[in-house]
Amino acid sequence: MSEVYDDENYEDGFDENKLANRINLALWKKLFSYARNYPRELKWLAFCACTTALMEVAYPLLTKGVVDEVDTYVKGGAEPDLWFWGFAYLVCTLIMAGAVGAFIWFAGKIRTSVAHDIRQDGFVNLQRLSFSFYDYRPVGWLMARMTSDCERLSNILAWGFLDLIWGFTMMIGIAIAMFIMNWKLAFVVFAIMPALGWISAAFQKRILKSARIVRATNSRITGNFNEAIMGVLTSKAFVREDANQNEFGVLAGKMYGASITNLTQAAIYLPLVITLASLATGLALAVGGIDMIAGVISVSTLIAFMAYTRHFFDPIEQLGHWFAEMQMAQASAERIISLVEADPAIKDNDAVLAAITAQQAHSSSAAYAPDGGAARIDRIELNNVSFYYNPEKPVLDHVNLAVERGETIAIVGPTGGGKSSLVNVICRFYEPTSGQVLIDGLDYRARSLHWLQSNIGMVLQNAHVFSGPIIENIRYGRLDASDDEVIDAAKTAGAHDFIMDFPDGYQAETGESGGRLSAGQKQLVSFARAILADPQILVMDEATSSVDTETEQRIQQGMQRILAGRIAFIIAHRLSTIRNATRIIVIEKGRITEAGTHQELMATRGHYFDLYRQQSLQESSRDLSQPLPAS
Amino acid sequence: MNTNLHTNTTDPTATEASYGDLWRLTAGQRLRYLGAILAIAIVNACMFSAPIIGGHAIDVINKQDFSFGDPFLLWASQLFAAEPSFTVYLWAAALTSLLITGFGGIFLYLRGRLAAIASESISKRLREALYRHLHNVRSKFYDTADTGDLVQRCSSDVETLRVFLSSDVIEIGRALMLIVCVVPVLVSIHAPLAGWSMILMPFLFIGAYVFFNKVKEAFLQTDESEGAMTATLQENLTGIRVVRAFARQAHETSKFAARNADFRNKNQYLMKLMGYYWSISDFFAMGQLGVVLIAGGHYVLQGSLTIGDLFIFMTCESIVIWPVRHLGRVLTDSGKAIISLGRVNYILHEDEESTDWVPDSGKAMGRINASGLSFSYDNNGGSEPVLRDISVDIAAGETLAIVGPPGSGKTSFIRALLRLYPYVSGSLKLDGHEVSDLNRFWLRRQIGVVLQDPFLYSRSIEANLAVGRPNSPHNDIVRSCEEAAILDSIMEFPQGFKAMVGERGVTLSGGQRQRLALARALLKDPPVLVLDDSLSAVDTGTEQIILNAMRRRKGRQTTLIIAHRLSSVMHADRIMVLDEGRVTQLGTHDELSTTPGMYQRLCKIQGALDEQIRADLAVTGGSES
Repeated sequence: MSEVYDDENYEDGFDENKLANRINLALWKKLFSYARNYPRELKWLAFCACTTALMEVAYPLLTKGVVDEVDTYVKGGAEPDLWFWGFAYLVCTLIMAGAVGAFIWFAGKIRTSVAHDIRQDGFVNLQRLSFSFYDYRPVGWLMARMTSDCERLSNILAWGFLDLIWGFTMMIGIAIAMFIMNWKLAFVVFAIMPALGWISAAFQKRILKSARIVRATNSRITGNFNEAIMGVLTSKAFVREDANQNEFGVLAGKMYGASITNLTQAAIYLPLVITLASLATGLALAVGGIDMIAGVISVSTLIAFMAYTRHFFDPIEQLGHWFAEMQMAQASAERIISLVEADPAIKDNDAVLAAITAQQAHSSSAAYAPDGGAARIDRIELNNVSFYYNPEKPVLDHVNLAVERGETIAIVGPTGGGKSSLVNVICRFYEPTSGQVLIDGLDYRARSLHWLQSNIGMVLQNAHVFSGPIIENIRYGRLDASDDEVIDAAKTAGAHDFIMDFPDGYQAETGESGGRLSAGQKQLVSFARAILADPQILVMDEATSSVDTETEQRIQQGMQRILAGRIAFIIAHRLSTIRNATRIIVIEKGRITEAGTHQELMATRGHYFDLYRQQSLQESSRDLSQPLPAS
Repeated sequence: MNTNLHTNTTDPTATEASYGDLWRLTAGQRLRYLGAILAIAIVNACMFSAPIIGGHAIDVINKQDFSFGDPFLLWASQLFAAEPSFTVYLWAAALTSLLITGFGGIFLYLRGRLAAIASESISKRLREALYRHLHNVRSKFYDTADTGDLVQRCSSDVETLRVFLSSDVIEIGRALMLIVCVVPVLVSIHAPLAGWSMILMPFLFIGAYVFFNKVKEAFLQTDESEGAMTATLQENLTGIRVVRAFARQAHETSKFAARNADFRNKNQYLMKLMGYYWSISDFFAMGQLGVVLIAGGHYVLQGSLTIGDLFIFMTCESIVIWPVRHLGRVLTDSGKAIISLGRVNYILHEDEESTDWVPDSGKAMGRINASGLSFSYDNNGGSEPVLRDISVDIAAGETLAIVGPPGSGKTSFIRALLRLYPYVSGSLKLDGHEVSDLNRFWLRRQIGVVLQDPFLYSRSIEANLAVGRPNSPHNDIVRSCEEAAILDSIMEFPQGFKAMVGERGVTLSGGQRQRLALARALLKDPPVLVLDDSLSAVDTGTEQIILNAMRRRKGRQTTLIIAHRLSSVMHADRIMVLDEGRVTQLGTHDELSTTPGMYQRLCKIQGALDEQIRADLAVTGGSES
C-alpha cells in the first residue's frame, strides 16, 4: 500500500458513523494477527472462556440434582446427601471463580499488549513517512488513530474473542442440556431465539450509531471549548461573548438531543429483551408444566428449563453487541491498518539498504557514512530538478544549481514562488518529480536518507519548541552536548541574554509547545539548536523574521563564523541578511530567474534590484508621496 | 495535554467538592429523579412477582393441589374453564407473568427516560455555564492556566459527572431498592431461609467497597501514564519537522516506546487487580446462591418449604445478587465524580470581570490620556511592575507608534487599554472616561486590535471577517481586505471567501494570518485601532502596500502601532519609546532621530543599510529619479 491522499479519510466528525454493510473479514484477520503474537494467552483465554461457559451450564443442573433428590424424598424416597451437593456446588464455584479471574487477566493482557503493539508499529511508521503524508493529515486526526482507535480495536479483539468463545460454548452447552432433558420443550424455547437475535442486532446497531453521534458531537464540543480558551483574548477584544455563547448553545442543544436519543433507545431495548425472555420462561412453564402433569418430565427438569431460559439470551445479546461494534469499528480498522502499512514515499532503496548492511560488518570509520560512501559533503548539484503535485502547476520547474562547500546561497522571491520547496527537495524531505539531486556527483537516492538528514540543520520560521526546559530544547541538536556547549551555541545564536532573564535560566520551562516564549525567542532557541548540531548543510528559512532589530544585528555579526565551512541556504526577506551571501538566487513561479552575487544582481536591475530598493526608506517614502492608485 | 493534573488528588486547582455539592447540582431535576426511583420500585415489584407466580404454579402441579395457587390466577382460570384445570392454570400463570413483566417494562423505560432527561439537562446546564464563564473570567486567570487542562475539565470531567448522574445514581437506587423490596418478600415466605439468603451479602458489599477504594490508586496511575504517553505522541507529531530536520527518529521512538510500555504495564497491573476482584466477588455471589440452594433443600426436607418456594428464593436471589456485586464500583465512581465536580467548580468559582458604568452608547472619539499609569500582572505587588508611571496624551485621530525591546511593556499598555487587566495606579482615560469605570463591552467595541500571533476561528474566511462587524456589505469587506493586502490571496483559494481556515481548510502562512486579522480589525472600523507587532511576518513589499493604505485612512481613527521595523513606525505622527516599563522618549521621527537614544540607534542600523543601498545604487548606475 502506498500513501494515498484521499479526502474521504478526513475526519469530519461524522464519518465515524459510516456503517459498514458487511464485515471485511480480511481486515479483521490482519488485525487479529496482532493477537496471534500471544498464542499462549489466546489459548488460555479460550480455555477459561469455555470453562466459565460450562460452569454456567452446570449450575442449573446442580439445582436440578438437589431438587430431584429432595422431591423424591418428599414423595417418599431415600434421604439425599445434601453435603455431597454442597461440596459439588463449592467445587464448581471455585472453578468458576478461578476461570473468571483468569480470563479477565488474559483478555486484559492481550488487549493492552495488542494496543501497545499497534501503537508502537504506528509510531515507528510515522517516523518513516514522508512530509507529503503529513501535509494531508492534521495532527488531531493522527492522534485519534493512535489513541482511541487503538483502544477500541484492541478491545474488540480481546473481549470480542472472549465473548465469541464463551457465547458459543454456552449456547451449545445449554442447547445440548435442554435437548437431552426434553427435545420438545427445547424446540419451544428455541423458537424465540431468532426474534431475540434480530431485535438485539437491530437495536445494538442503532444504539451504537447514536452513541457515535453523541461522541462526534462531544468532540465538537471539546473543540469549541478549545477554541474558546485559545481565542479568549480575541473574543473579548471583539466582544464576541454573546455570539459565541449562542453558537455554543446550539451545539449543546444538539448534544442534549443526541444523548437523549441514545439513552431512550437503550431504555426501550432493555424492557423488550426482558419481556421476550419472560415469554420464553412462560412458555417453558406452561408447556413444561403440561408435560409434567403427563409425567413426561419431573419438577426438577422444569425448574432447570426455566433457569436456562433466563440465561440463554445473554450470549445472544453479547454476540449481537460485538457484531454491531465490529460493523461500527470497520472504519477505524481500515484507518489503523493503512497507517501501519503506509509505505513512505521516500526511503532507502534496496541497493542502499544492502550497502548499509555491508558497512555495518566493517569497522566504522569517521570518513565513511553508514552506507559506505564518503561522510563528507563537498558539493550539491541540482540537475534539471522539477517538482510538482499537479503537472499543470509545477512548484519547481527545471531548476539547475551547484553549490560547493563553504558557499552560502541566499534564496529570495515572492511568497509561493518555491523557495521552501527548493530547500525541502535539497534536504530530501521531498524528492524531485524529475531530474536529479547529486551529492558529490552521486544521485542522493543512492545514499542513505538517514545519513543525509542527520547532516542537516534546519531553522524554520515557525520554530517548533518542545515543552520542557530550554536547555533540553537546544540539546536536541546534539544529544551528547555538554551544558557548556549548549550555552556557547545559545550565545552565538543571541539567545543567551533572554534565557538568563528567566528566573530559572536554562532550566526554564518552555510550556506547551513553547507557549511561554515569544515567536522571536522560539526562533533564537531553534537557531541555537541548529548551531549546536554543527551540520554540514545549514538551512535557514525565515529563521529570524520575528527577532527584533537590535538582536538581529548582533546575530549578523557572528553569522560569518557560523556559515564558514558549510553549505548554507538562507531564505529571508531582510536583505541585510542576504547581501553577504556568496550567491543569491531569485525564484519566481518555480524557476530560477536571477542568480549571482549582490553586485551582479543589482546591475541586472531585475526583481532583486526592486526588492532591495524597497528596503530603502528613502525609496519607500517616495512611494508614499506618489499619487495613490484609486481603489 | 496535561492529564497529570486531572489525576492528582491533591490538585491545588480543584475546589474541594462534597456530596452536598453533588446534591446542589441536581437542583431542578429532583422531581425527575424521584419519579425514576418510584419507577424502579414498581419495576422491582413486577420483577419479583413473576418468579412468585412461577413458583406457586410449580407447587400446584407438583402437588396436584390448587390450594398452593394464587387466588387471582384461580379466579382467572375459572373464566376459561368451568372445572379447575391444571393446564388452564399453567397458561394463566405464564400469561400473567408475561404481562406483569411487560407492565414492569414500561416503568423500566420510564426510569431510563427520566434519568436521561435529568442527567442530560444537568450536564447541558453545566457545559453552558462553563462556556459562558470561560468568556467572562478575568484574563489573569489564563496567565497560569494550561489550555489542555482546562479543556479536559470541560470535557472529560463533565463526562464523568454525566455518567455518574445518568447511570450510577440510578444503579445505587436500584441496588438499594432491590434489597429493600426483596427482604420482606423472602421473609414472608420463609424467615430462616431469608436470613441464609443474606448471609454473604455484606462480604460482597464491603469487600467491593474496600477493594475499589484500594484500586483507585492503580486507576490514577494508569490515567497518568496514559497522559504521559499521549503527550509524548502529540509532541512528536507537532514537532515532526524538527524531528526529521535533526534525524532524531531513533531517539523519539525509544522515548515513545518507554511511555507506551509503561502505559501497557500499568494497564496490565490494573487488569490483574480486576481479575482478583471479580474472581473473589464471583466466588461470594455464586456461593451465596449455593447457600440458598443447600439450606433451602434442607428446609424442603424438613417440610417447612415447598419446592416452588425454593424456586422463588433461587430466582429472586439471582436477580438481587448482580447489582449488589456492582455497587462497590458504583460507589467508587461517585468518589471520582466528586473529584471531577471539584475541578469543574474551580473554573466556575473564578471571579468574573466586572461590568460597570455604561456611558451613552455611540462611538467614542478616540482620545486617550494616560497619566502616571502603572501596571503589574500580579496585583499583590509580588512581581515587578511592567508599566511605570506612563503619561501620554494621544489626540483623536493621531497615529502613535510604540517601540521598545521585548518585555518593555508595549503589549501590556494595550492590555490595560482594553481593560483585559486592571492597572494598579494612575489613570488611563478614553474620551475623558476612566477606563476602569467603563463598561468593558462598550470599551472593547471602540478598539480594533490585531495581535502579533492573531487568533483565527476555525470557520470560513468570511465568518472570520464577520467577527469584526457582522452583516457588513460586501463592498466594505472587499475594501478592508484590499487595504490589508489580503484580497489577492483570498481570491486564489478555490472557495474564495468561503474557504475554511485551519486544519480542515486552507493553511494560512503567518503573514496571511496577520493580514486577515488586520482586515478583520479594519472592517470593524473602530475609533481606536491597535496593531500589536502585527506586520512582523509580512514581507517588505506587502508591508509598504499596507502602510500606504493605512496612511490613506489617517485621521479616521486613533492608531497605535507597535513594531520593530523602522519602516512601520517612522511615518507615525509621534513615536513613543518604552524601556523597562517607562517612557524614555516621545516625539516625532525627526525629533527622535536626532536625539541620542534607542530610537536613534534603530535609525542608525537602518541608516547604515540605507547608506549601503544608496552606495549600491550609485555603483550600479544610480536610481532613476
